[in-house]
Amino acid sequence: MRTRGAVLLANIITGLALGYTVANIGFGDYGELNRMFTFQDLRMFLAFAGAVVIIAVAFALLRVRRTPGRIHAGVIPGAVLFGTGWAISGGCPAIPIVQVASGYLPALVTIAGVVVGIRLCRWANARYFHLDRGSCGL
Amino acid sequence: MSSYWPWWAGAIGLALVTIGYTVATDRSLGVSSAWDRVVHWRRERDLERVEEEFTDDRALADALAAATAEHFGTAPAVPMPPHGDTRPPEPAAESTPGENPSATGLRPAPVVTQAALLVSIVLGGWIAAITSGRFQVRFDMGPDFRDLVTANPTTMVIVLFVGGVLVGFGTRLAGGCSSGHGLSGCGRLRPVSIVATAVFFGIAVAVSFLLWKVI
Repeated sequence: MRTRGAVLLANIITGLALGYTVANIGFGDYGELNRMFTFQDLRMFLAFAGAVVIIAVAFALLRVRRTPGRIHAGVIPGAVLFGTGWAISGGCPAIPIVQVASGYLPALVTIAGVVVGIRLCRWANARYFHLDRGSCGL
Repeated sequence: MSSYWPWWAGAIGLALVTIGYTVATDRSLGVSSAWDRVVHWRRERDLERVEEEFTDDRALADALAAATAEHFGTAPAVPMPPHGDTRPPEPAAESTPGENPSATGLRPAPVVTQAALLVSIVLGGWIAAITSGRFQVRFDMGPDFRDLVTANPTTMVIVLFVGGVLVGFGTRLAGGCSSGHGLSGCGRLRPVSIVATAVFFGIAVAVSFLLWKVI
């Protein structure tokens, strides 16, 4: 068990490091992002893929607990919507925050959209989808 | 453009952040779930309170059961006299201390700490922009967005909002985003995360090609 204070400190340090890293890689730059997705520039793709490889090796060495997760009905439709949204707005949930922090004020609109989308998902799931844990925060 | 980090530096940075968070908190890093819980903070805070009370109640019930056992000897299962209070032994029979650690281990980080995560991302991004000389207050999304998507400010606002809704809705429906599924999930080799990452990346590639070549 970790104390509340330790978790808070870890979150603050992680947020600072994540914002700093993501901004310096260039994920907040729409042009860089489009060049990654169209394979014109593999730099950011390699940064992401390289990170996954390092994490996989480290987690295997550290014997990190495998969290359960089954492929429920929301995974593929959700990923399709997310991929589309990411490509047109340039924002995965952390990116618009970094964009605003870099001075791109219109990214505030993206953040507003993300907030609306998240609320909509919980509402729609409770009312229509009825997916269990692992989807829409339920 | 050349002021960005080389790929290996980015890979090491992202990996250190994810591994550090996992080791420090024994939890999985996920920005979209942090967003989700912060957006629904009122409900999440109430849930946290209920959970705390529940834990307290369980502790109280255990203490009562122990006291009862002490008072009546070591056998609380002996039938009580008709006027005796039979309630304390009941919760004692239901409480299974073995369940407790596993239940709390899967609990997400408190909502306050997740709000702190989001605020810290702003600060970290701002420090990066200032120190690299990239910080510039602007009312557009840069020349590439103008060329690839739209130059019209109204259309831009609509595209960004719709894109944001798709990102918010889609990440929560899929149960994670590029950090939760992409980094933490793929790093754990979870099948659901690998499928989700392959799909959202593939779709983003297709849409980006459409924007680049067709639209």
